[in-house]
Amino acid sequence: MDSEPHFAVTKFKITKPKLYKMAIIKDSIRRLSPTLLYKNVVMFIVEICFVIVAVMAIDPSLIPEVSSISEVPFYIEVAVILILTVWFSTLSDSIAEAQIKNTASTLRKIEKEVPARKIVSEDRREISEVTSKQLKKGDLLLIKKGDVVPIDCEVMEGIAMVDESLLTGESVNVRKSVGTTVLGGSMITSDSIIARVSVNPSDTFLNKLIRLVESSSRPKTPNERAVSILLAGFTAIFSIIVISILALSIILKLGLDLSVLIALYVSLLPTTIGALLPAIGISGINRMSEKRIIIKSGKAIEAAGDTDSLLLDKTGTITRGMRTAIEYIPLGKHTKRDVGEAAFMSSWDDDTPEGKSMVELAYQEGFVPHEFAIIERIKFEEFSASTRKSGASLQEASEFFLPKGGKGILQHKRIRRKYDPESREDEIDIIKGAPDAIKGIVKTVPLNFDNIVDEAAKSGDTIMAIAEGGEIIGLIRLRDEVKPGIKSRIASIKNMGIKPVMITGDIEVTASSISREVGIDDYVSRAKPETKYDLVKQEQSRGRIVAMIGDGTNDAPALAASDVGIAMASGTEPAKEAANMVDLESNPAKIIDVVMMGKQILMTRGAVTTFSIANDVAKYFVIVPVMFTAVALSSLSKLNLLHLTPHIAVLSALIFNALIIPFLIPLALRGAEFKPQSAMRIFLKNVFLYGLGGVILPFAGIAAIAFVITHLGGI
Amino acid sequence: MKKSNSLTVPIRIALVSLVACGILFPGVVTSIAQLAMPVQANGSLISFHNTTIGSSLIAQDFNYSGFFQPRNDSASGLDPDITVQNATQQASKIHNVTGISMAYLDSIIKENTKYTLFFFGTAYVNVLDLNINLAEHYPAIYDRYSV
Amino acid sequence: MITTSAAFIIVVEFGSVLIGGWLLSSYLLKVYSTKRTRLDRIFGPIERTIYYLGGVNPYEEMGWKAYLRSVLALNAVEAAIGFVLLLYQGSLPLNPMHAPDMSWSLSLNTALSFSSNTNLQHYNGGSALSYMSQMAVIQFLQFTSAATGLSVGIAIFRGLTGKTKGLGNFYVDYTRTLVRVLIPLSGVTALILIFLGVPQSLNGYTIFKTLEIGGSEIVKSGPIASLVSIMQLGTNGGGYFGANAANPLTNPSQITNLFELAIMMLIPTSLPFLFGRMLGRMKEGRTIIVASYSLYFIDLLIAFIPITHIGQGMEVRFGAASSVFWTVTTTAFTTGSLNANLSAFNPLVILAGFFGMIIQATPGGIGVGAMYMLMYVIMTVFIVGLMAGRTPEYLGTKINASDVKLAIIAFLSHPIIILIPTVITFAIGAQVAVGLGTNSLSFTQILYEYTSAAANNGSDFLGSAGNTVYFNVSTGIVMWLGRFIPIAVMLAIAGNMVQRKRYASEALRTDTLAFTAVLIVAIFILAVLTFFPFLAIGPILSYLEGFKNGF
Repeated sequence: MDSEPHFAVTKFKITKPKLYKMAIIKDSIRRLSPTLLYKNVVMFIVEICFVIVAVMAIDPSLIPEVSSISEVPFYIEVAVILILTVWFSTLSDSIAEAQIKNTASTLRKIEKEVPARKIVSEDRREISEVTSKQLKKGDLLLIKKGDVVPIDCEVMEGIAMVDESLLTGESVNVRKSVGTTVLGGSMITSDSIIARVSVNPSDTFLNKLIRLVESSSRPKTPNERAVSILLAGFTAIFSIIVISILALSIILKLGLDLSVLIALYVSLLPTTIGALLPAIGISGINRMSEKRIIIKSGKAIEAAGDTDSLLLDKTGTITRGMRTAIEYIPLGKHTKRDVGEAAFMSSWDDDTPEGKSMVELAYQEGFVPHEFAIIERIKFEEFSASTRKSGASLQEASEFFLPKGGKGILQHKRIRRKYDPESREDEIDIIKGAPDAIKGIVKTVPLNFDNIVDEAAKSGDTIMAIAEGGEIIGLIRLRDEVKPGIKSRIASIKNMGIKPVMITGDIEVTASSISREVGIDDYVSRAKPETKYDLVKQEQSRGRIVAMIGDGTNDAPALAASDVGIAMASGTEPAKEAANMVDLESNPAKIIDVVMMGKQILMTRGAVTTFSIANDVAKYFVIVPVMFTAVALSSLSKLNLLHLTPHIAVLSALIFNALIIPFLIPLALRGAEFKPQSAMRIFLKNVFLYGLGGVILPFAGIAAIAFVITHLGGI
Repeated sequence: MKKSNSLTVPIRIALVSLVACGILFPGVVTSIAQLAMPVQANGSLISFHNTTIGSSLIAQDFNYSGFFQPRNDSASGLDPDITVQNATQQASKIHNVTGISMAYLDSIIKENTKYTLFFFGTAYVNVLDLNINLAEHYPAIYDRYSV
Repeated sequence: MITTSAAFIIVVEFGSVLIGGWLLSSYLLKVYSTKRTRLDRIFGPIERTIYYLGGVNPYEEMGWKAYLRSVLALNAVEAAIGFVLLLYQGSLPLNPMHAPDMSWSLSLNTALSFSSNTNLQHYNGGSALSYMSQMAVIQFLQFTSAATGLSVGIAIFRGLTGKTKGLGNFYVDYTRTLVRVLIPLSGVTALILIFLGVPQSLNGYTIFKTLEIGGSEIVKSGPIASLVSIMQLGTNGGGYFGANAANPLTNPSQITNLFELAIMMLIPTSLPFLFGRMLGRMKEGRTIIVASYSLYFIDLLIAFIPITHIGQGMEVRFGAASSVFWTVTTTAFTTGSLNANLSAFNPLVILAGFFGMIIQATPGGIGVGAMYMLMYVIMTVFIVGLMAGRTPEYLGTKINASDVKLAIIAFLSHPIIILIPTVITFAIGAQVAVGLGTNSLSFTQILYEYTSAAANNGSDFLGSAGNTVYFNVSTGIVMWLGRFIPIAVMLAIAGNMVQRKRYASEALRTDTLAFTAVLIVAIFILAVLTFFPFLAIGPILSYLEGFKNGF
């Protein structure tokens, strides 16, 4: 109980691609080709500028009005920096794509070939042994206890417990009944099932994810499109400005050199955001896949960032989704101790969370039977999904033995036969399970049993009945516990201005006490399957962006209606079809990470855009005062805040402009730092960091570069 | 719902506006002004010896060097005022030409000084005010020059 | 240097403008609401008569396209009326001074100028216009263009507040603006101006013998007060005479000077308050008024860096400081009436004027100033709003790609229609015809001409010298494009937004002072980014060189 099993995420070991990897370098150089580059308008223009300056360097006499033969070395320097600027941009694309391919190949390793039993005859007697790769959609499989499920399939017959730890890293058994999906890679731990393959091997979610991350053609998200339009607008404005300056300079004889004007142009163009915009989008998908979330559309990531309302299932998200015993309730003449001891005995070999918790509670209350050591548990009946009960048969043993697990407090106790010494019967069955299931198999049922059970269940707890020797001796109250750490996560959600809404089938009392405990103000109790859909619609009608998770077919309409619908990979096929994200780990609490990641992507895009535009102010003040060589420079040089000579000023600004791209690649790939705070606080922090910083940093950066190149000499 | 005819409506509304804003409005304002405030409405005309000698608002040319001279470089070219500094400079010249005592000249400048309300508070005087004052008090000097 | 009395006057001036604007906004809210008010009893019959005469169905709700179509159609017809009246003014009545017909290009320029609320004048009104033209062209178009601007502003407010189905009905807004706002306010203003000494007559120009024997002067009296009132109230600019508000007959004293300034600032100041009232959230209005006024005060600071002394081209009765103050204000409110000659000023005053015309929202012209401010808000919200980690929202609706595109088009159109004709002018040497060369001062004057035209300001260096076919036609085109491209685009944004649902959300809050500060900086940076190189070789160079010609 000390760890956080439900938040545990199996970390992929994703090796970060190294900058010096030849493949990345080669790819980035391939991307310099205009036929590939034209999609990135800003960078395409920079490349055209490179060509113009390169031509000037080769033959300055082509355009004598705005170039001079003595400036050829300068033209070469400018041309080199320009093509480097473009290359830095393609490099960031290449790194982002290399990273995502890396993720894909790591994911691919999970997918192994697994043997499968394919049912080939009508009467299901004939079975052929095949491998998972040979399966196709619609095939019927027999999967037995201990088998690894070869591929995603839907249970047709039988009920089984399934261990999905291979996929999710959590060793919790999940009950799978007819109609549910078992995932390829999970393991059947009880019973056996007949299942129908629901996807072709090439369409598994894993494969879908790999294909998504590998495909280079990614539709732009709405915000990305808006940012692109903004960049196009700024590009147009600066193009008009530069063309006007060029024309005026020629007419008014201002002595402008075209290479300097191009340097101004390229410095002003939003090259930083232009270069990094694609990488920001790709890295978002990559970070999602690192968390094993398949995104069906990039739009959903942005919507996740905009989430206003978060619909949380109580069970599994807020609570552990497993019940622990909290009280023993005796019935009839029996005492609390009788119930506790019986529960202890019957649960000793029970490895389910419920069973373990009963032993624990018995310890705490001191209900450990003195006879424990001499009683031999001759048979243990595991909990079965179909019978909904478990039990143990006990017999007096002849010798002492120590309880397993080193629970040493019992070691030297004298053992006294508790059970009726006169009885010939030396075998006692203790059975526990759902009250109605137990009722059906015992000899004596206490009076008003149903009423007592109902009364006990009013608080919202789960009630189990326990029978000893064919007689119901008491009830066990179990409660689903709140996950550790959930309270602080709810607080983070509320800090971000998101309203969490808890949904539970529980009665009002339970719902209100749990929601109060974790700090949720809104909850819906006694929710029916369709309640989720109604709630999504109701929240949306108030203009709120709704995120939710779901797994059952019941959830499909709500998932489809919600703005961000995350289906558990363990969920049903309709649910996964309806959702726009699928969580391979089936960890409902991850929705919170998805929201934060969505915000981070939006923020990164905004931060780099603002930074890019803010940079222009400094570049203007560096280049414009030295631009018109025929104009009284001494006058305009009063604006030359850094007091740089024309060549140094232009080169420093250009170098700064180019270097800032690789400098910011890590930011683009990693995302801007994000803490769950209110939108306004995040905004103000970023305005200072990227807005004000964007105005100031280039002055410092350009001055530093100028210092370096001045002292390197030779320029 | 009946839509306004997009062809005739603009023309009809434009004509209504023309009559209302371009004819009726200035017409009504003029009528009220002429009835209620005829002096201002007709340009704040000023009289000297029962003769109207123009508007007090606009500068008049003076050739005789015994008169105060208006500025002739200003935005409207009609600026009727000069700064007190300028008037004081002109006073000594007028004193030389006409022999009118500096004390008197200074006193009429002072009497007629106005201040700009704004910031740096330039003090100024109206040239015509000064000259009418001179012409009234020194008819012997100015009768030859004034109406 | 600021004396106590000067400070008192400044406080009274701005105080009365702000209080007046605030009070007016509550009246305007009633004017443009569909709810019945007591005023309907007075104005209702007049308006119904106008709807009847005009064939308007006042219950028709317009989308942005219908609204824009009506705006363009009505303004085109009105400009055409103005054009024809000027072209044939010589043969029309009310022409006691026998002003001749105007040339086609000057008629065109004047009609386009006044119908676009620019009021750039390439003629000398005192001699080139008949009484008929001063009234039925100039005053008529000053009323209609102001009514158009205010109506469009209201329609855009409606779109952004999203409380109506459509943007309203242009003809209803226009009629109500005239009947309930502009005509009554202008009437009162005109009477006050007359009381303070501004002439109002139709008696023709009179020649008087002046004090000195042999001297004479023409008193060019006319329907001046009625023109000045709407010229200032409707942020039109221009003037009865060439010298605008410097002429003693249009601005006879310091009191009229302060009064005329105040009425010029009144309506643009009231609109942010009105916006807040329409939204039901005064704080959103506060963002706009604080941002506009802060930028306006930055303009004033730039202009007051150099100490200006009374000199050539200024009127003694106003003094230097108030001449600078007027010039900055008239550009900040894109009115463009001048009380001094632009050549009289330090280049920094001109620079401040440029800023007013580049930004156009400080607080800008009637109706359109608030419109431009909303354009900046949308751009700023989008650029910096992403940094809050959410899709940017304004007034409870998300800013989408199409809004960004439209706002960018509106913003982009301004530098295009200024820079391209400026370049063409020098490329074909058209500046020579107005006595300019290829130096920095000439460049400033040409750049100013097109900036003023594009911003629908109307102040200029050229004056009647600009009466060449080239300048008449080119500035005419620029004035109309500068007027109606942003109006069309902003109406489109408003039209797209009006149907979107509004929700309170936790996104970036635009009603905070923190956002207002970011907005101010963003606007300033956008303006600097667009025009810095041109201002550098224009007024900035002149300033740094100490008034020399430059280059």
